[in-house]
Amino acid sequence: MQLTLRDAWVALVLLVVTTTSGTARAQPPTQLSPELPKVELRTTEPSSLSSLLWHASSEVAGYADTDHVFVLTPTLGVNVGSPTAGWSVGGRYLVDVVSAASVDIVSTASRRFEEVRHVGSVDAAYKPGRWGVAAHGAVSIEPDYQSYSGGGEVTGDFLQKNLTALVGYEHGHDIGGRTGTPFSVFSRVLDTDAIKAGVTVVFDRATIASFIADTILESGDPSKPYRYVPLFAPGTEVPRGATVDQVTRLRLSARPLEQLPLSRDRFALSARLAHRFDRATLRIDERLYTDSWGLNATTTDARFLVDFGRRVELGPHARFHAQTSVDFWQRGYVLRPGFDFPALRTGDRELGPLFAVTGGARLRLGIGRSAEPKSWILGFDWNVTSTHFLDDLYLTRRISTMGAFTLETEL
Amino acid sequence: MPPLRFLALAALIATLLATGCAQVAPYDRGRLAHPTMTTSDLAGAGESHVRAVQEGAAGGGFEAGGGCGCN
Repeated sequence: MQLTLRDAWVALVLLVVTTTSGTARAQPPTQLSPELPKVELRTTEPSSLSSLLWHASSEVAGYADTDHVFVLTPTLGVNVGSPTAGWSVGGRYLVDVVSAASVDIVSTASRRFEEVRHVGSVDAAYKPGRWGVAAHGAVSIEPDYQSYSGGGEVTGDFLQKNLTALVGYEHGHDIGGRTGTPFSVFSRVLDTDAIKAGVTVVFDRATIASFIADTILESGDPSKPYRYVPLFAPGTEVPRGATVDQVTRLRLSARPLEQLPLSRDRFALSARLAHRFDRATLRIDERLYTDSWGLNATTTDARFLVDFGRRVELGPHARFHAQTSVDFWQRGYVLRPGFDFPALRTGDRELGPLFAVTGGARLRLGIGRSAEPKSWILGFDWNVTSTHFLDDLYLTRRISTMGAFTLETEL
Repeated sequence: MPPLRFLALAALIATLLATGCAQVAPYDRGRLAHPTMTTSDLAGAGESHVRAVQEGAAGGGFEAGGGCGCN
């Protein structure tokens, strides 16, 4: 008998559910603690409006890097829910304003481009008791790319909420085109099915851990219709980080468009550990990633957030990401006699070997009234990333910085 | 990594985590309820988007919730 991927996922989900439900049955029903006297709790019906909790947030983020890419991203979000009834609904609107004159654009003799992307998303959740459901949807529109996605999750609490299991699914439908050309004339479709399953576990009264497995199955052509790949004669030595002028001098006149495989299976195992000290929180994330294109990656993220009084929270942030290249990666693709060149080719340096080191800080200021100083929160995040490209044309290193101002309130 | 080996590893880790679960009573979860202990990512929308573009990997969204004693 041959196991399929779907069979394996069903087995994993059943394993998680069976494990958690089995241990939950072993617990005395609704017994909090043997040392405590039983107290019967009576609740009153909450009024429909007084029990609502509103959360609104805005963020303005700015990005700049040494490859002459600038992005401004304002975001607005609002969420309303009833913690007692267990439901919430929310929405978010985001705009990306991109201005780029990167070396990839310069190398194709193109001019700086500016582009605006609009993203709208909605989500809803309902969790009246042990079991909960959530749904979300998002639309992203830019002149040459449209993306639609929607999905849902089911969560279950076990062991008196000391363990939460999750199973989720999302489908994405992307349509890529060319600016100035109608999608009816030229377009490429990329469909994505993402499945995830995970658990969150309370280790002790100050430590919580999450583990999640993601499978993302992509089908379609994600090749960029603007990305031309230089070809070189056999035996040509192209140095790492060769300049535009060097590449222009060494390359042949033929320069085909990028062509990526028409499907990609992506897998990630991620874990998060969070520990609360008296006045500080330590958060450590680790993600291991592999995919059918041969790219393997590790990502480690750590934050240490310290409370300074009731109004100030401040702490450092560090992130490290390292990855191998995809199987078909080459610094210089070779054109052989008979117009023979690799069927799969790319100039996307995020598919090449690289590592990136990020350092930054996070500040949150409670600016509400003294009774509830964190009913209004002013935030600032700042990160600097040094990305090292290990086998690329044009670039060997890129420094980028990103800052974000946020304002949040809960009413 | 073949899909079946990946899933077997995921199931093993999930099972180990489940067996390591402690019994912390709801009244003893003050620290777990602190906002910085959320299972969600602390990165904002802009930072998340930059990561998605700059890193060749994907996945790792933690939204499992629970564990904090809240609803």
